[in-house]
Amino acid sequence: MSPLALEIDAITVSPGGAPVLRGLSLHVAAGTRTALVGPSGAGKTTLLRAVAGLAPLDDGDVRLGERSLRNVPPHRRGVAVVFQEPRLLAHLSVEENVALPLRAAGVGGSERRSRARERLDEVGLGGFSARRSQGLSGGEQQRVALARALCADPDLLLLDEPLAALDPNRREDLRRLIVRLQRERGLTTLVVTHDRAEAAELGERVALVLEGRIVQHGPPKELFERPVSAAVARFFGVANLLRGEVRDGLLEVRGTAVAVPGPDGDATLAIRPEHARVDDDAALRAVVRESVYAGTHVKLVVDCHDLRLELHVPPAGAPAAGREIGVDLPRERLWRLPEDDEIAVSAAAAAPSRGAGRPSA
Amino acid sequence: MVETRVQRVLGGLLATAFALPLLVLVVRAFADRWRAPALLPQDWGMRGIELAFSGQAAEAFWTSLLVAVVTTAVALVLGWPAARVLGERRLKRPAIAFLLLAMPLLVPPYATGAGLTEWFLRLGLVDTVSGIVLAHLVGVLPYVVVVLLSAFGPEVTALEEMGRASGLAPLQRWRWVTLPAVAPTLAAAAFLGFLVSWSQYGSSLAVGGGRPMLPVVMLPFVRSDPQVAAALALLFLAPAIAALALTARAARSPL
Repeated sequence: MSPLALEIDAITVSPGGAPVLRGLSLHVAAGTRTALVGPSGAGKTTLLRAVAGLAPLDDGDVRLGERSLRNVPPHRRGVAVVFQEPRLLAHLSVEENVALPLRAAGVGGSERRSRARERLDEVGLGGFSARRSQGLSGGEQQRVALARALCADPDLLLLDEPLAALDPNRREDLRRLIVRLQRERGLTTLVVTHDRAEAAELGERVALVLEGRIVQHGPPKELFERPVSAAVARFFGVANLLRGEVRDGLLEVRGTAVAVPGPDGDATLAIRPEHARVDDDAALRAVVRESVYAGTHVKLVVDCHDLRLELHVPPAGAPAAGREIGVDLPRERLWRLPEDDEIAVSAAAAAPSRGAGRPSA
Repeated sequence: MVETRVQRVLGGLLATAFALPLLVLVVRAFADRWRAPALLPQDWGMRGIELAFSGQAAEAFWTSLLVAVVTTAVALVLGWPAARVLGERRLKRPAIAFLLLAMPLLVPPYATGAGLTEWFLRLGLVDTVSGIVLAHLVGVLPYVVVVLLSAFGPEVTALEEMGRASGLAPLQRWRWVTLPAVAPTLAAAAFLGFLVSWSQYGSSLAVGGGRPMLPVVMLPFVRSDPQVAAALALLFLAPAIAALALTARAARSPL
C-alpha cells in the first residue's frame, strides 16, 4: 500500500464555540513527517483532533489522498492517534490493548495475537504481552499506545506531544523509535509539540501555528534561520531584531553602521543568538548585562545603548557581566524579514487582521 | 503488634454488634415456643419457615423480586443518559436538575404513592406489576442517577475518543471501552437501585392495591406472629445479600 498525502484545506474549527483554527491549510506529503509546533493554546491539538474527526469542521476540508474525510466518522478514517496520555484500557492486558484496532476490524484471535506481539517487539516491549497497563512506567505505556496505533495499519499517524510526559533520556529513546518506525513504513505523520528543538528533531518539515494559522512551513533550518516574520523569529528563539532604513547596504545601529544584505529601504533584520559573535575589534560596542552558563554555551545579554541583544558564545573565554565588548553581526548571517513582517502570514491565510503579531515568550 | 490486636478486638466487637440482632432473628424464626423469661426457646421448629414459604408470602417474594429486577433494569437504562449529562457537567444549571431529581426523596414515599394512585386509577395501572414498577422508579431513579454520574467524566471521554481513533464502531466502543470503564459504578448503582425497590413499602402499599409485596406482607406479622415475621425477614435479607455478592464481584472483575 503506497502512502497517502494529507491535505488540510482552509479549515475553521471552533471546539468551544469560538474559532480556534481560522482557515488553516497544511499539506503533508505522502510518507513524510511534519512537526506541528506552536505555543500553548495556538490550536495544535485542535488541528490533530479535527484531522482525526474528533472535532467537527465549521468550514474547509481534510483529504487523505483523493478521499475527503469531511463526512467520514473517526473510526473509518484510517487515521491512528497517539494521544499525550497513553489512554490504555485498564481491564485488558498490554497485548489486548495493542490488538484493539484489529479486534475492531474483526481479525481472528490467533492472527490478532501474533500481530500485536510483532508490534510490541517493534517498540521494544517483547515480553510485556500478558502484563497489565497499571504496572508499566510512563514511557512503557506510551510505547504500548504507539504499538496500538501501528497495529491499526493507518494511512496517517497523528501524535500529540508523545514525549511530553517523559524524562529526557526516555524522551530521546522514544523520539528515535518514532522516527525509525515512521521511516521503515513510509507512514505519513503529523506530530504535535510545543518545543521547537523537539520539532526540529521530530519533523522532516516543521509547521508553526500561531493564533490558529500556519505562519510558516518548511525544513527546520528554514524556520530557525529564515523566519518569515518577527513572530516566527521570536518563537524560534531569535530575540535580535534590528529595524531601520538601509542606505548603500548599511544599516545604522545605534550610531554604528552595520553591513546588511538586500536592497536599500526600510527593513527588519534578524540574527540568531549563536550567530552573533563577540569581537573586541568590532565597531558595535555593548555592555554585558547578564552572563549565564547554560551547559553547552554561555548566554550573554548585552546592551548597545537601548538596544538589547542576545548572544550564545562558547563557555571558554566568555566575558563576565559588566564588561564592555565589541559585537560582530556577520553580514552573511543577517536575515532580512519579508517586508510587511508583522502581518506576514503564509500564502492562503484569509484576513490578516490580527495576523501573527503577538510575540511568543 | 499491640495495635493490630486492639484493632482486631475492636473489629470483633463491631462485627458482633452487627451480627447479634441477626442471630436473634435466626433464633426467633426457628422458635416454635419462646416464653418471656427464658433465654432460649422452649420448642424449636419449622413452623415459621413453612408459613413464610407458602401462600401469600411466597407470592409476595416473587412479585417483589420481579419488580425489583425490572425496576433496576429500567432505572439503569433511563438513568444512564441522565447520569452521563450530569457527570460530564454539560448542564449550565445542574442544581435545578439535582433538585428535581431529589424531589421524590424529599417527599414521604406514601404521599408520592397516594398522588400516583389517583393517576394510576385513571390510567388503569393500579394493581398491575407495571404500575408498581413505575411507582418504584420514582424512588429508584434518583439513587441510580446520583451514583452512576460519578462514573462519567473526562477519563471515560478520553478513553472513548481513543476507541474512536482506534477504529471502534459505536457499538464496539460501548461494549469494549465505555461499559468496562463504568462497570464498578454501574454495579453499585444497580445494587442500590435493587435495594431501594426491594424495600419500598409506602408506594407498594399505595399503588399495589391487593397485590402482595414482601415488605407489605411482612409488617402485620410483626405484631400477630413474630416467628413468621422473623422468617420473612430472613427471606427479605437473602436477595439483598446475593445482590451485594454479585456487586462485589462485578466491581472487582469488570466484565
